[in-house]
Amino acid sequence: MTAHASADVSVTLTVNGRDVTRTRPAHVSLLRWLREAGFVDARLGCGEGVCGACTVLVDGAAVGSCLVLAVQVDGSEVRTAVGLSEDDGSVGALQRAFLHHGAVQCGFCTSGMLMAATELVERGEPLDRERVTAALEGNLCRCTGYDGIVEAILAVSGSGAPPA
Amino acid sequence: MSGFAYVRARSVEEAASAVRELGPEAKLLAGGQSLLPLVNLGLARPAALVDIGGAEGLGEVERGNGTLRIGALVRHRILETSPVVADAQPLLTAAVGHVGSPRVRNRGTLGGSLCHADPSAELPLAMSVLEAEYEVTDGGGSRSIAAAAFAVSFFTTALSEGEILTHVRVPPAAPGTGWGFREMTRRAGDFAVVAAAAVATCREGIVESMRLGLAGVADRPTRCRAFEAEAPGTPVERLADLGDAVVADVDPPTDTAASGAYRTRLAHVLGVRAAADACARAMGRTP
Repeated sequence: MTAHASADVSVTLTVNGRDVTRTRPAHVSLLRWLREAGFVDARLGCGEGVCGACTVLVDGAAVGSCLVLAVQVDGSEVRTAVGLSEDDGSVGALQRAFLHHGAVQCGFCTSGMLMAATELVERGEPLDRERVTAALEGNLCRCTGYDGIVEAILAVSGSGAPPA
Repeated sequence: MSGFAYVRARSVEEAASAVRELGPEAKLLAGGQSLLPLVNLGLARPAALVDIGGAEGLGEVERGNGTLRIGALVRHRILETSPVVADAQPLLTAAVGHVGSPRVRNRGTLGGSLCHADPSAELPLAMSVLEAEYEVTDGGGSRSIAAAAFAVSFFTTALSEGEILTHVRVPPAAPGTGWGFREMTRRAGDFAVVAAAAVATCREGIVESMRLGLAGVADRPTRCRAFEAEAPGTPVERLADLGDAVVADVDPPTDTAASGAYRTRLAHVLGVRAAADACARAMGRTP
Protein backbone atom coordinates (compact mmCIF):
# COMPACT_ATOMS: atom_id res chain seq x y z
CA MET A 1 0.00 0.00 0.00
CA THR A 2 1.33 3.41 -0.94
CA ALA A 3 -0.07 6.37 0.96
CA HIS A 4 0.14 9.98 -0.16
CA ALA A 5 -1.53 11.97 2.61
CA SER A 6 -2.39 15.11 0.59
CA ALA A 7 1.20 14.85 -0.52
CA ASP A 8 2.96 15.38 -3.80
CA VAL A 9 3.43 12.32 -5.92
CA SER A 10 5.81 11.69 -8.74
CA VAL A 11 4.08 10.55 -11.93
CA THR A 12 5.83 9.52 -15.12
CA LEU A 13 3.90 9.39 -18.36
CA THR A 14 5.02 8.82 -21.91
CA VAL A 15 3.31 11.72 -23.64
CA ASN A 16 3.38 11.69 -27.44
CA GLY A 17 6.40 9.41 -27.28
CA ARG A 18 8.37 11.43 -24.73
CA ASP A 19 8.83 10.45 -21.06
CA VAL A 20 7.70 13.22 -18.74
CA THR A 21 7.99 13.09 -14.95
CA ARG A 22 6.34 15.64 -12.72
CA THR A 23 5.74 15.77 -8.98
CA ARG A 24 2.33 17.21 -8.20
CA PRO A 25 -0.34 16.71 -5.52
CA ALA A 26 -2.26 13.43 -5.83
CA HIS A 27 -5.53 15.21 -6.58
CA VAL A 28 -4.23 16.78 -9.79
CA SER A 29 -6.22 15.56 -12.78
CA LEU A 30 -4.52 14.13 -15.84
CA LEU A 31 -5.80 17.17 -17.74
CA ARG A 32 -4.20 19.66 -15.38
CA TRP A 33 -1.03 17.59 -15.22
CA LEU A 34 -0.76 17.61 -19.02
CA ARG A 35 -1.52 21.30 -19.37
CA GLU A 36 1.00 22.24 -16.71
CA ALA A 37 3.54 20.15 -18.61
CA GLY A 38 2.82 22.19 -21.74
CA PHE A 39 0.39 19.87 -23.51
CA VAL A 40 -2.25 22.57 -23.76
CA ASP A 41 -4.02 20.99 -26.71
CA ALA A 42 -6.06 18.99 -24.15
CA ARG A 43 -8.71 21.49 -23.05
CA LEU A 44 -10.86 22.08 -20.01
CA GLY A 45 -14.49 22.46 -21.02
CA CYS A 46 -17.10 21.23 -18.56
CA GLY A 47 -14.95 19.44 -15.97
CA GLU A 48 -17.61 16.78 -15.50
CA GLY A 49 -17.04 14.42 -18.40
CA VAL A 50 -19.79 15.65 -20.69
CA CYS A 51 -18.14 17.83 -23.35
CA GLY A 52 -15.14 15.76 -24.46
CA ALA A 53 -12.76 18.70 -25.00
CA CYS A 54 -10.23 17.03 -22.69
CA THR A 55 -10.24 13.67 -24.52
CA VAL A 56 -6.79 12.05 -24.78
CA LEU A 57 -5.71 8.47 -25.39
CA VAL A 58 -4.36 6.52 -22.42
CA ASP A 59 -2.78 3.26 -23.58
CA GLY A 60 -4.85 3.59 -26.75
CA ALA A 61 -8.22 4.17 -25.07
CA ALA A 62 -10.00 7.53 -25.28
CA VAL A 63 -10.59 8.95 -21.81
CA GLY A 64 -11.76 12.24 -20.42
CA SER A 65 -8.57 13.56 -18.85
CA CYS A 66 -10.58 15.76 -16.47
CA LEU A 67 -12.08 12.59 -14.96
CA VAL A 68 -8.81 10.77 -14.41
CA LEU A 69 -6.21 11.56 -11.77
CA ALA A 70 -2.70 11.63 -13.19
CA VAL A 71 -1.60 9.30 -10.39
CA GLN A 72 -4.20 6.73 -11.49
CA VAL A 73 -2.47 6.27 -14.84
CA ASP A 74 1.15 6.57 -13.69
CA GLY A 75 3.38 4.73 -16.17
CA SER A 76 0.89 4.90 -19.05
CA GLU A 77 1.34 6.01 -22.61
CA VAL A 78 -0.66 9.17 -23.33
CA ARG A 79 -1.39 10.70 -26.71
CA THR A 80 -2.77 14.17 -27.33
CA ALA A 81 -3.72 15.84 -30.60
CA VAL A 82 -0.26 17.36 -31.02
CA GLY A 83 1.05 13.82 -31.19
CA LEU A 84 -0.92 13.22 -34.39
CA SER A 85 1.47 15.44 -36.35
CA GLU A 86 3.94 14.00 -38.81
CA ASP A 87 7.61 13.86 -37.83
CA ASP A 88 8.33 17.07 -39.79
CA GLY A 89 5.70 18.92 -37.75
CA SER A 90 3.06 19.04 -40.47
CA VAL A 91 -0.46 17.95 -39.58
CA GLY A 92 -1.37 14.26 -39.80
CA ALA A 93 -3.89 12.56 -42.09
CA LEU A 94 -6.86 12.90 -39.73
CA GLN A 95 -6.09 16.57 -39.08
CA ARG A 96 -5.78 17.20 -42.84
CA ALA A 97 -9.15 15.54 -43.37
CA PHE A 98 -10.68 17.79 -40.69
CA LEU A 99 -9.35 20.83 -42.54
CA HIS A 100 -10.46 19.55 -45.94
CA HIS A 101 -14.02 18.76 -44.75
CA GLY A 102 -14.60 21.97 -42.81
CA ALA A 103 -14.65 20.02 -39.53
CA VAL A 104 -13.05 22.88 -37.58
CA GLN A 105 -14.51 26.24 -36.75
CA CYS A 106 -13.63 27.78 -33.39
CA GLY A 107 -11.38 24.80 -32.67
CA PHE A 108 -12.09 24.35 -28.98
CA CYS A 109 -13.53 20.84 -29.36
CA THR A 110 -11.16 19.83 -32.13
CA SER A 111 -8.35 18.17 -30.19
CA GLY A 112 -10.86 16.09 -28.24
CA MET A 113 -12.71 15.21 -31.45
CA LEU A 114 -9.43 14.18 -33.07
CA MET A 115 -8.54 11.85 -30.21
CA ALA A 116 -12.00 10.24 -30.04
CA ALA A 117 -11.74 9.77 -33.81
CA THR A 118 -8.20 8.39 -33.55
CA GLU A 119 -9.30 5.65 -31.17
CA LEU A 120 -12.12 4.76 -33.54
CA VAL A 121 -10.03 4.76 -36.72
CA GLU A 122 -7.16 2.83 -35.12
CA ARG A 123 -9.53 0.07 -34.08
CA GLY A 124 -9.60 -0.70 -37.80
CA GLU A 125 -13.23 -1.78 -37.93
CA PRO A 126 -15.34 -0.86 -40.96
CA LEU A 127 -17.09 2.44 -40.27
CA ASP A 128 -20.33 3.97 -41.35
CA ARG A 129 -22.07 7.18 -40.37
CA GLU A 130 -23.93 5.53 -37.51
CA ARG A 131 -20.78 4.08 -35.93
CA VAL A 132 -18.92 7.36 -36.21
CA THR A 133 -21.82 9.25 -34.66
CA ALA A 134 -21.99 6.73 -31.79
CA ALA A 135 -18.26 7.06 -31.16
CA LEU A 136 -18.54 10.86 -30.98
CA GLU A 137 -21.54 10.77 -28.65
CA GLY A 138 -19.46 12.22 -25.83
CA ASN A 139 -17.84 15.04 -27.81
CA LEU A 140 -19.74 18.28 -28.20
CA CYS A 141 -19.15 20.81 -30.97
CA ARG A 142 -21.14 24.04 -30.92
CA CYS A 143 -19.98 25.32 -34.33
CA THR A 144 -19.79 22.87 -37.19
CA GLY A 145 -22.99 20.87 -36.91
CA TYR A 146 -20.89 17.67 -36.89
CA ASP A 147 -21.35 16.78 -40.57
CA GLY A 148 -17.87 17.84 -41.57
CA ILE A 149 -16.39 15.95 -38.62
CA VAL A 150 -18.19 12.75 -39.54
CA GLU A 151 -17.22 13.13 -43.22
CA ALA A 152 -13.58 13.69 -42.30
CA ILE A 153 -13.45 10.55 -40.17
CA LEU A 154 -15.18 8.45 -42.82
CA ALA A 155 -12.74 9.76 -45.43
CA VAL A 156 -9.68 8.86 -43.36
CA SER A 157 -11.01 5.41 -42.54
CA GLY A 158 -11.51 4.75 -46.24
CA SER A 159 -15.29 4.49 -45.75
CA GLY A 160 -16.19 7.96 -47.02
CA ALA A 161 -16.99 9.35 -50.42
CA PRO A 162 -13.89 9.85 -52.54
CA PRO A 163 -12.66 13.45 -52.51
CA ALA A 164 -14.24 15.55 -55.25
CA MET B 1 -10.32 19.63 -7.37
CA SER B 2 -9.45 20.11 -3.72
CA GLY B 3 -6.90 18.03 -1.87
CA PHE B 4 -7.37 14.58 -0.47
CA ALA B 5 -5.15 11.81 0.75
CA TYR B 6 -4.55 9.19 -1.89
CA VAL B 7 -3.90 5.53 -1.20
CA ARG B 8 -3.24 2.93 -3.86
CA ALA B 9 -4.49 -0.51 -2.86
CA ARG B 10 -3.06 -3.57 -4.59
CA SER B 11 -5.69 -5.95 -3.26
CA VAL B 12 -9.17 -5.97 -1.78
CA GLU B 13 -7.64 -6.70 1.62
CA GLU B 14 -5.38 -3.64 1.37
CA ALA B 15 -8.31 -1.50 0.32
CA ALA B 16 -10.47 -2.75 3.17
CA SER B 17 -7.79 -2.08 5.74
CA ALA B 18 -7.10 1.39 4.27
CA VAL B 19 -10.80 2.26 4.43
CA ARG B 20 -10.97 1.03 8.02
CA GLU B 21 -7.93 3.10 8.93
CA LEU B 22 -9.04 6.29 7.16
CA GLY B 23 -12.62 6.20 8.42
CA PRO B 24 -15.96 7.17 6.93
CA GLU B 25 -14.62 10.19 4.99
CA ALA B 26 -12.59 7.86 2.77
CA LYS B 27 -14.08 6.82 -0.58
CA LEU B 28 -13.11 3.97 -2.86
CA LEU B 29 -11.96 5.05 -6.32
CA ALA B 30 -12.25 2.61 -9.21
CA GLY B 31 -12.72 4.07 -12.71
CA GLY B 32 -13.68 7.44 -11.23
CA GLN B 33 -16.35 8.22 -13.82
CA SER B 34 -19.06 8.81 -11.20
CA LEU B 35 -16.97 10.01 -8.27
CA LEU B 36 -14.57 12.42 -9.99
CA PRO B 37 -17.30 14.53 -11.64
CA LEU B 38 -18.79 15.01 -8.17
CA VAL B 39 -15.38 15.94 -6.78
CA ASN B 40 -14.74 18.34 -9.70
CA LEU B 41 -18.09 20.01 -9.11
CA GLY B 42 -17.46 20.26 -5.37
CA LEU B 43 -20.46 18.01 -4.63
CA ALA B 44 -18.24 15.42 -2.94
CA ARG B 45 -15.27 16.32 -0.78
CA PRO B 46 -13.72 13.02 0.31
CA ALA B 47 -10.89 13.33 2.81
CA ALA B 48 -9.18 10.36 1.23
CA LEU B 49 -9.45 8.27 -1.91
CA VAL B 50 -8.50 4.61 -1.79
CA ASP B 51 -7.68 3.68 -5.37
CA ILE B 52 -8.79 0.10 -5.86
CA GLY B 53 -8.38 0.33 -9.65
CA GLY B 54 -5.23 -1.76 -9.69
CA ALA B 55 -6.39 -4.46 -7.25
CA GLU B 56 -5.77 -8.01 -8.40
CA GLY B 57 -8.47 -10.49 -9.26
CA LEU B 58 -11.44 -8.23 -9.89
CA GLY B 59 -11.10 -7.71 -13.63
CA GLU B 60 -12.37 -10.99 -15.06
CA VAL B 61 -15.54 -12.12 -16.78
CA GLU B 62 -15.98 -15.83 -16.13
CA ARG B 63 -18.65 -18.34 -17.01
CA GLY B 64 -18.80 -21.59 -15.13
CA ASN B 65 -21.02 -23.68 -12.87
CA GLY B 66 -24.09 -22.17 -14.50
CA THR B 67 -23.19 -18.63 -13.53
CA LEU B 68 -21.79 -15.57 -15.22
CA ARG B 69 -19.39 -14.06 -12.67
CA ILE B 70 -18.12 -10.56 -13.34
CA GLY B 71 -15.37 -8.82 -11.38
CA ALA B 72 -16.25 -5.42 -9.93
CA LEU B 73 -13.37 -3.77 -11.82
CA VAL B 74 -14.50 -4.96 -15.26
CA ARG B 75 -14.79 -1.84 -17.36
CA HIS B 76 -18.01 -1.06 -19.21
CA ARG B 77 -16.21 -1.32 -22.54
CA ILE B 78 -15.10 -4.89 -21.72
CA LEU B 79 -18.61 -5.82 -20.64
CA GLU B 80 -20.04 -4.25 -23.79
CA THR B 81 -17.74 -6.16 -26.14
CA SER B 82 -17.53 -9.46 -24.24
CA PRO B 83 -18.83 -12.39 -26.34
CA VAL B 84 -19.26 -14.35 -23.10
CA VAL B 85 -21.62 -11.70 -21.71
CA ALA B 86 -23.47 -11.32 -25.02
CA ASP B 87 -24.04 -15.07 -25.12
CA ALA B 88 -24.98 -15.55 -21.47
CA GLN B 89 -27.01 -12.44 -20.80
CA PRO B 90 -27.55 -10.15 -23.81
CA LEU B 91 -29.68 -7.74 -21.74
CA LEU B 92 -26.49 -6.77 -19.96
CA THR B 93 -24.71 -6.08 -23.26
CA ALA B 94 -27.59 -3.85 -24.33
CA ALA B 95 -27.83 -2.03 -21.01
CA VAL B 96 -24.12 -1.25 -20.69
CA GLY B 97 -24.08 0.20 -24.20
CA HIS B 98 -26.32 2.98 -22.87
CA VAL B 99 -23.94 3.95 -20.05
CA GLY B 100 -22.40 7.39 -20.55
CA SER B 101 -20.26 7.99 -23.62
CA PRO B 102 -17.64 5.67 -25.15
CA ARG B 103 -15.04 7.64 -23.18
CA VAL B 104 -16.85 6.99 -19.90
CA ARG B 105 -17.23 3.30 -20.81
CA ASN B 106 -13.48 3.05 -21.42
CA ARG B 107 -12.79 3.96 -17.77
CA GLY B 108 -15.92 3.27 -15.77
CA THR B 109 -16.33 -0.05 -13.96
CA LEU B 110 -19.28 -2.30 -13.20
CA GLY B 111 -18.64 -2.17 -9.45
CA GLY B 112 -18.23 1.58 -9.49
CA SER B 113 -21.55 2.10 -11.22
CA LEU B 114 -23.41 -0.32 -8.93
CA CYS B 115 -21.94 1.20 -5.76
CA HIS B 116 -22.58 4.76 -6.93
CA ALA B 117 -26.26 3.68 -7.02
CA ASP B 118 -27.60 6.46 -9.21
CA PRO B 119 -31.36 5.78 -9.38
CA SER B 120 -31.36 6.44 -13.16
CA ALA B 121 -28.37 4.22 -13.96
CA GLU B 122 -28.70 1.34 -16.40
CA LEU B 123 -26.59 -1.38 -14.77
CA PRO B 124 -28.30 -1.44 -11.35
CA LEU B 125 -31.60 -1.74 -13.25
CA ALA B 126 -30.36 -4.59 -15.42
CA MET B 127 -28.96 -6.43 -12.39
CA SER B 128 -32.25 -6.05 -10.55
CA VAL B 129 -34.21 -7.56 -13.45
CA LEU B 130 -31.63 -10.33 -13.89
CA GLU B 131 -31.77 -11.06 -10.15
CA ALA B 132 -28.01 -10.92 -9.81
CA GLU B 133 -26.16 -11.58 -6.55
CA TYR B 134 -23.42 -9.26 -5.32
CA GLU B 135 -20.39 -10.68 -3.50
CA VAL B 136 -19.04 -8.26 -0.90
CA THR B 137 -16.23 -8.48 1.61
CA ASP B 138 -14.80 -6.43 4.45
CA GLY B 139 -11.39 -7.97 3.86
CA GLY B 140 -12.11 -10.77 6.29
CA GLY B 141 -15.53 -12.35 5.90
CA SER B 142 -17.71 -12.12 2.82
CA ARG B 143 -21.43 -12.21 2.16
CA SER B 144 -23.85 -12.08 -0.71
CA ILE B 145 -26.47 -9.38 -1.31
CA ALA B 146 -29.35 -9.72 -3.78
CA ALA B 147 -29.36 -6.98 -6.43
CA ALA B 148 -32.87 -5.95 -5.40
CA ALA B 149 -31.65 -5.31 -1.83
CA PHE B 150 -28.38 -3.58 -2.78
CA ALA B 151 -29.53 -0.06 -3.59
CA VAL B 152 -31.45 1.22 -0.59
CA SER B 153 -31.98 4.86 -1.63
CA PHE B 154 -30.51 7.66 -3.77
CA PHE B 155 -26.76 7.00 -4.06
CA THR B 156 -26.95 4.71 -1.01
CA THR B 157 -26.28 0.97 -0.86
CA ALA B 158 -26.63 -1.83 1.65
CA LEU B 159 -22.83 -2.01 2.00
CA SER B 160 -21.67 -1.62 5.58
CA GLU B 161 -18.83 0.72 6.32
CA GLY B 162 -15.62 -0.84 5.05
CA GLU B 163 -17.37 -3.41 2.85
CA ILE B 164 -16.28 -3.70 -0.79
CA LEU B 165 -18.16 -5.16 -3.75
CA THR B 166 -15.89 -7.71 -5.44
CA HIS B 167 -17.97 -9.72 -7.91
CA VAL B 168 -21.43 -9.92 -9.42
CA ARG B 169 -23.01 -13.29 -10.16
CA VAL B 170 -25.56 -13.17 -12.94
CA PRO B 171 -27.73 -16.19 -13.74
CA PRO B 172 -27.43 -16.79 -17.51
CA ALA B 173 -30.54 -16.45 -19.66
CA ALA B 174 -32.47 -19.72 -19.93
CA PRO B 175 -33.03 -20.93 -23.51
CA GLY B 176 -36.03 -19.21 -25.09
CA THR B 177 -35.70 -16.08 -22.95
CA GLY B 178 -35.97 -12.73 -24.68
CA TRP B 179 -34.85 -9.33 -23.45
CA GLY B 180 -35.87 -5.73 -23.95
CA PHE B 181 -34.18 -2.49 -22.96
CA ARG B 182 -35.54 0.97 -23.67
CA GLU B 183 -34.60 4.34 -22.34
CA MET B 184 -35.27 7.99 -22.93
CA THR B 185 -32.47 10.50 -22.56
CA ARG B 186 -32.46 14.23 -23.18
CA ARG B 187 -29.08 14.03 -24.92
CA ALA B 188 -26.96 11.10 -26.04
CA GLY B 189 -24.84 9.90 -23.11
CA ASP B 190 -27.02 11.43 -20.42
CA PHE B 191 -28.45 9.44 -17.59
CA ALA B 192 -31.86 8.11 -18.56
CA VAL B 193 -34.90 10.13 -17.59
CA VAL B 194 -36.60 6.73 -17.44
CA ALA B 195 -35.21 3.34 -18.47
CA ALA B 196 -37.04 0.02 -18.70
CA ALA B 197 -35.56 -3.49 -18.80
CA ALA B 198 -37.43 -6.73 -19.33
CA VAL B 199 -36.84 -10.45 -19.73
CA ALA B 200 -39.62 -12.77 -20.82
CA THR B 201 -40.52 -16.19 -22.13
CA CYS B 202 -43.48 -16.91 -24.37
CA ARG B 203 -45.33 -19.95 -25.66
CA GLU B 204 -47.39 -19.85 -28.85
CA GLY B 205 -47.80 -16.10 -28.75
CA ILE B 206 -48.79 -16.02 -25.07
CA VAL B 207 -46.58 -14.54 -22.35
CA GLU B 208 -45.33 -17.32 -20.12
CA SER B 209 -43.09 -15.39 -17.71
CA MET B 210 -42.22 -11.73 -17.39
CA ARG B 211 -39.84 -9.58 -15.41
CA LEU B 212 -39.87 -5.82 -15.87
CA GLY B 213 -37.96 -3.12 -14.04
CA LEU B 214 -37.74 0.65 -14.26
CA ALA B 215 -35.03 3.19 -13.44
CA GLY B 216 -35.62 6.90 -12.96
CA VAL B 217 -38.98 6.57 -11.25
CA ALA B 218 -37.89 6.17 -7.63
CA ASP B 219 -34.85 6.39 -5.37
CA ARG B 220 -33.61 3.02 -6.70
CA PRO B 221 -34.45 0.54 -9.49
CA THR B 222 -38.04 -0.66 -9.20
CA ARG B 223 -39.58 -3.94 -10.29
CA CYS B 224 -43.09 -3.71 -11.76
CA ARG B 225 -44.63 -6.46 -9.64
CA ALA B 226 -48.24 -5.80 -10.67
CA PHE B 227 -47.32 -6.04 -14.36
CA GLU B 228 -45.17 -9.12 -13.76
CA ALA B 229 -48.14 -10.81 -12.07
CA GLU B 230 -50.65 -9.88 -14.77
CA ALA B 231 -48.56 -10.46 -17.90
CA PRO B 232 -48.41 -14.30 -17.89
CA GLY B 233 -51.30 -15.68 -19.95
CA THR B 234 -51.65 -12.46 -21.94
CA PRO B 235 -51.33 -12.61 -25.74
CA VAL B 236 -48.17 -10.75 -26.69
CA GLU B 237 -50.04 -8.32 -28.94
CA ARG B 238 -52.27 -7.32 -26.01
CA LEU B 239 -49.40 -6.33 -23.70
CA ALA B 240 -50.15 -2.64 -24.24
CA ASP B 241 -53.47 -3.18 -22.46
CA LEU B 242 -51.48 -3.77 -19.28
CA GLY B 243 -49.73 -0.40 -19.41
CA ASP B 244 -51.47 0.83 -16.27
CA ALA B 245 -50.06 -2.15 -14.38
CA VAL B 246 -46.54 -1.06 -15.36
CA VAL B 247 -46.95 2.14 -13.39
CA ALA B 248 -49.22 0.78 -10.65
CA ASP B 249 -46.38 0.78 -8.13
CA VAL B 250 -44.57 3.97 -9.09
CA ASP B 251 -45.00 7.57 -8.02
CA PRO B 252 -41.95 9.33 -9.46
CA PRO B 253 -40.69 12.59 -8.00
CA THR B 254 -40.57 15.82 -9.96
CA ASP B 255 -37.06 17.19 -10.39
CA THR B 256 -35.12 19.44 -12.73
CA ALA B 257 -34.96 16.75 -15.44
CA ALA B 258 -38.66 15.92 -15.65
CA SER B 259 -41.99 16.18 -13.89
CA GLY B 260 -43.34 13.19 -12.03
CA ALA B 261 -46.26 13.00 -14.45
CA TYR B 262 -43.93 12.90 -17.45
CA ARG B 263 -41.83 10.18 -15.85
CA THR B 264 -44.96 8.15 -15.20
CA ARG B 265 -46.00 8.52 -18.84
CA LEU B 266 -42.51 7.52 -20.02
CA ALA B 267 -42.54 4.51 -17.69
CA HIS B 268 -45.89 3.44 -19.14
CA VAL B 269 -44.68 3.66 -22.74
CA LEU B 270 -41.13 2.38 -22.30
CA GLY B 271 -42.19 -0.41 -19.94
CA VAL B 272 -44.67 -1.81 -22.45
CA ARG B 273 -42.15 -1.48 -25.28
CA ALA B 274 -39.36 -3.20 -23.35
CA ALA B 275 -41.75 -6.03 -22.42
CA ALA B 276 -42.93 -6.35 -26.04
CA ASP B 277 -39.31 -6.38 -27.28
CA ALA B 278 -38.50 -9.15 -24.79
CA CYS B 279 -41.45 -11.21 -26.03
CA ALA B 280 -40.51 -10.64 -29.68
CA ARG B 281 -36.98 -11.88 -29.04
CA ALA B 282 -38.29 -14.80 -26.99
CA MET B 283 -40.27 -15.84 -30.08
CA GLY B 284 -37.18 -15.49 -32.28
CA ARG B 285 -38.26 -12.26 -33.94
CA THR B 286 -36.40 -8.99 -34.29
CA PRO B 287 -38.36 -6.31 -32.41
